[in-house]
Amino acid sequence: MNGLKNNKRQKYILLAAWVLPSILLFLSLGVGTYKISWAEVFNTIRSALRANQNLNLSPAAANIIINVRLPRILLALLAGSAFAVSGSVLQSLFRNPLVNEYVLGVSFGAGFGAAASLVLFSRQFPPQVAAFLFGLLAVFLVMTISEGARNSMMAVLLTGIVVSAFFQSLLSGVEFMASPYALQALFFWLLGSFSQVTWPDLLWTGPMVLLGLFLLIRMKWRINVLSLSDDEARALGVNVKKERFLVIALTTLITSAVVSVSGIIGWVGLIVPHAVRGLVGADNRLVIPVSAGLGASLMLLADDLIRAFSPYEFPVGIITNLVGIPFFLYLIKRSKKSWG
Amino acid sequence: MHVRITRLEISYEDFKLVAENLSMPPSRLTALIGPNGAGKTTLLKALAGLQKLPGGAVYINGQDLSRLKDSQRTRLVSYVPQEFSTAFNYGVLDFVLMGRSGYLNIFASPSASDYRQAEAVLDYLGLQRFREKKCLELSSGERRLVLIARALVQDTEVIILDEPTTFLDIKHEMEIAGLLRKLVEEKKKTVICSIHSLDLLPKLADQLVMIKNGRILASGPTPEVFRSDLLEKLFDFPLKVDQINGHVVVLR
Repeated sequence: MNGLKNNKRQKYILLAAWVLPSILLFLSLGVGTYKISWAEVFNTIRSALRANQNLNLSPAAANIIINVRLPRILLALLAGSAFAVSGSVLQSLFRNPLVNEYVLGVSFGAGFGAAASLVLFSRQFPPQVAAFLFGLLAVFLVMTISEGARNSMMAVLLTGIVVSAFFQSLLSGVEFMASPYALQALFFWLLGSFSQVTWPDLLWTGPMVLLGLFLLIRMKWRINVLSLSDDEARALGVNVKKERFLVIALTTLITSAVVSVSGIIGWVGLIVPHAVRGLVGADNRLVIPVSAGLGASLMLLADDLIRAFSPYEFPVGIITNLVGIPFFLYLIKRSKKSWG
Repeated sequence: MHVRITRLEISYEDFKLVAENLSMPPSRLTALIGPNGAGKTTLLKALAGLQKLPGGAVYINGQDLSRLKDSQRTRLVSYVPQEFSTAFNYGVLDFVLMGRSGYLNIFASPSASDYRQAEAVLDYLGLQRFREKKCLELSSGERRLVLIARALVQDTEVIILDEPTTFLDIKHEMEIAGLLRKLVEEKKKTVICSIHSLDLLPKLADQLVMIKNGRILASGPTPEVFRSDLLEKLFDFPLKVDQINGHVVVLR
């Protein structure tokens, strides 16, 4: 990052974006309906790290921290990073700041895949894998149908809406076939929430998201070049078809891995990259890693607010929709200006 | 580097470009001229290896472009489009650095030596004043210079430009024309571009290729081909090439 070394402000923003989630992780362990003091949180972590059994911990508090709050917090961090990074990457790839995994149909494709696995195959086919395959199918459909259109940006958006609607219909079909008990669980899951996560879920989702994030962050410069027209990128030595497919597959991987556990949480991939470009400019060498940190922090804060102030499990997906949709409309309104 | 085309055929829905045994000499500026829709951009893209060729081949120094990997081709020939295509407002230095992409693997970012190369090109073109600016804040003429800078950072011997002077005011038009000559004379680049301004051609181009309706009407050294009869036939419009005070001019 030679060219970035001189810009202290950008360096501090990057540092802050990566330190903030770690601080929030610790603080969030103390947030929730069941009151746990910071000292108990601290001792529980020490005990877990050192296997120290002599700290006089209440078994209930330790159980809540380790088995309820920690996986939930980790999922919120992973989800925020995954949505924000996939949003910033897809916007660059499609040269369209309005694109995100939600608009491209990935969310509903992945949602249908996971729901079908849960309801129709009783998890015999892993929901994460089903979510990934159908997420990939959704974005493949959007790209194939919109290819060659005169106004490609508009074509992508409109096709994305249609493909999303198609997978929403399939999802409704799955809901119709679900048993009353499964339907209730499915309905709550679809609203988007981190409350149901368990360690086994995270053992599937965590590595998939971390691998995808690692590779996408490594590709940050290449994604700058992929944001040019196909001819320009090819003239600069990029194998556009192959690299674009790889990037789309990675964004679909991280998004669907999260959606398969958390349900559909929209619009984070739109709001965070936009805010980050306002802070650090358009260069993806900063936009992608800062989005990862900031997305994780915002997602966790949103979930913390629910756990701190709501007496029952209010789905975080409802909050992101309520904030994201007006923001999307605002972006459309000002889309004649430049981005970044 | 010598650029050569064997019989080339590219077809669209209702358009067909055919170019036979065309040759662009090394360290010279070859200009493609012709009416709108004649096939200039298609031919330029074919020369840059960006166009699928159902028939024929483009050779640069004897190497068939279609048989090269993207990263190999990108070290032989660079392509300068008419306009930026990005929706994102990159800094000028970052944008120019993208010219090094063909030298980097998919996970790499530009190194210190890539930065030095980009800085050297900005110096050479006198563009250091734009270094900290954002691309989309530049004027049309400045954007063309930045696109040319990116091609120079790519460090190829053949540079292909699509209408580098179109829609520019006279000052920027002359600045770009002067720069293209400088690249040929000082850097010994082989420059191939499409040009609409007939007044520029006699001083700018060493070679001309005239294209009409997807066919090569004439090609050769500028003094031999830049003639009233050929220009009239090319544009279907009465034109007269004359000399005033030693300057070749085109009278309409």
